[in-house]
Amino acid sequence: MPPSDPGSGAGTGERDDDVAQLLPDIAALAAGLDAVDYLTDLGLATALFLAVRLRQPLLLEGEPGVGKTAAAQALARLLQTPLFRLQCYEGIDAAEALYEWDHPRQLLAVRLAEARHAEVAEADLYGPQYLLRRPLLAAIAHPGPRPAVLLLDEIDRADAEFEAFTFQALAEAAVSIPELGTVRATHPPVVVLTSNRTRDLHDALTRRCLYHWIDHPAPERVAEIVRRRVPGSDEPLVHDATAAIGRLRALDLVKPPGIAEAIDWVTALSLLGVRRLDPAAVAATWGAVLKNRDDLDVAADRGAAWLAGAGRG
Amino acid sequence: MADLPVAPGPLAVGLSAALQRAGLPVTADRAARLARALRLVPPVDRDSLYWTARVTLVPTRAQLPLFDAVFSAVFDGRLDPADSRGDDAAPPAVGSEPRTRPVPPDRRRSDPATSAPDDGPRAGSPGAGDADGAERETVLAVASAQERLGTTAFAELEPGELAEVRDLVRRLVLATPQRLSRRSRPGQGRRIDVRRTVAAAQRRGGDVERLVFAERRPRARRLVLLCDVSGSMQPYSRVFLTLLQGAVADASAEAFVFATGVTRLTRQLAGRDVDAALARAAAVCTGWSGGTRLAASIEEFLAVFGRRGMARGAVVVVLSDGWATDPPEEVAAAMARLRRLAHRIVWVNPRAAAPGFAPRVGGMAAALPFCDAFVSGHSLAALQEVVAAVRAG
Repeated sequence: MPPSDPGSGAGTGERDDDVAQLLPDIAALAAGLDAVDYLTDLGLATALFLAVRLRQPLLLEGEPGVGKTAAAQALARLLQTPLFRLQCYEGIDAAEALYEWDHPRQLLAVRLAEARHAEVAEADLYGPQYLLRRPLLAAIAHPGPRPAVLLLDEIDRADAEFEAFTFQALAEAAVSIPELGTVRATHPPVVVLTSNRTRDLHDALTRRCLYHWIDHPAPERVAEIVRRRVPGSDEPLVHDATAAIGRLRALDLVKPPGIAEAIDWVTALSLLGVRRLDPAAVAATWGAVLKNRDDLDVAADRGAAWLAGAGRG
Repeated sequence: MADLPVAPGPLAVGLSAALQRAGLPVTADRAARLARALRLVPPVDRDSLYWTARVTLVPTRAQLPLFDAVFSAVFDGRLDPADSRGDDAAPPAVGSEPRTRPVPPDRRRSDPATSAPDDGPRAGSPGAGDADGAERETVLAVASAQERLGTTAFAELEPGELAEVRDLVRRLVLATPQRLSRRSRPGQGRRIDVRRTVAAAQRRGGDVERLVFAERRPRARRLVLLCDVSGSMQPYSRVFLTLLQGAVADASAEAFVFATGVTRLTRQLAGRDVDAALARAAAVCTGWSGGTRLAASIEEFLAVFGRRGMARGAVVVVLSDGWATDPPEEVAAAMARLRRLAHRIVWVNPRAAAPGFAPRVGGMAAALPFCDAFVSGHSLAALQEVVAAVRAG
């Protein structure tokens, strides 16, 4: 066993016997995710398996709507542990990721103590009960027995300072709070990061992460996912809709419809009682699939009949 | 490859070495990670080994084609991996960096926690606060330059003078206008800063005597530069590349070049060593001539980068003569789309200074209605206008 680099967190697969028993190999993980209705292929299953067992952060990239966020959610369901999600945005700061003090409550406590003529020491005011745990701290402080899942969504939107700081906290699997001391992870969280590549991430970050690029799946797999996610949807309708989505993706669109749109669309069609996709149904539900004016124009030029698969052999 | 009579360690090292020879930077800790992963995932067949290796060794999508080529060379025994240097059959992915140079020493820091980002010198670069000082310095520098340098078009300069111009261009600090960020500081805002109010009260024994208000801190807007490097822009490209380099290094800008397609140059242009940065960039944008596919390039920029957030709320500077080969209506459509994302669009057209110039050429005429500022930037004096146009608004 080579010495693990300090960035790989305090825990390795060996310490979490429970997790190792639950997920002895990739097949077990794929089957487990399948049971919570998340379909993986070998590549994604390998990536997730290594993220859990090597306990290294996993960076997922891919087009919007291929299921990056859903992967982390499914992983949490499989492990039956809480999922802490941090949605990053430009200007996010450490307080929103780690912790904040509940100032109004502290103020109230001071007032109450005064009313009762009781002494209130500063140490009382900075106790755990006044601490608002934000996702990063909550994931690190999670008591176990299984590790929590921490999802850092769209990490590329946060600025470089935040990225560096976050990674420091994750690498040490510890957060120090001046008033309370240091919170160390007994079970370092499973960390999943997603990125839309609006900027290049730091080498320091990519160096420590496992990496997986999720491709848009083949129509058959999309159909299978939609069947799982839209209970009660008709088999022929799912088939028609995913084939239509495949046709749309072949066009030059600003925002090609992803899996999320396929699910939305079939849900909408089922709600309207549509059994087979026909031009009228397409024309009534454009908005569930195409969410950009220019794309609507492009698709409308081809016509609803083309999209519905008229003239199919 | 029914079974691998190889222990995880040697297998990991062997594969890493093959990738290294082919030009993929595989660090020792990645190789060690692959060895650990192979203990967890026994490589029972080619596919499982492929995914385990790919997930642990490849840090970015851009390197996937090369990885695939090397992997298949090693395990399908098609060719010696040393020969697969730079797989030319694979289209160069955006942002891919062919590593033909040794890794600079600053990437080999043993302690990543303390290592500064190597994507541009943030520290020591003038912040928005002292931009005025920097601007004064620039004006002085330009004023002290020879008159000829100031007003001669770049196309007519001698090589020596060009170097001098480049030096001045680098000192033009492009500072974008500000926007309000989410972060706050104590000031004259309308929101009460509870944390600071309570802290102040604590110092006074628990009584709130003074409300501290928070105001939102301003941040510089993102700056995106799109530089045309097609044949007709040849006389200006070298100077404009220098401008791009300065903007990347000093204003954390994002830089792209385009002719028939778009290439992101931010990473190549980053870093303190200007000449090395320009050499890396020049390696990317040589040998392009002919027309500009302006609309297609802007569309590609939007599809790959802009709509994901890079252009949103940013100041976008297009450096191009607008001689487009695509139909004007497509240029207009692409510009309209950019317009809806960007905060400001500044168009720098070096031919605008020519006597009798009028933006009547198809592409330029179509793009003009969507621009907030139209400047020439054909000479040093004109570059001042570029800086002013970026600063405005």
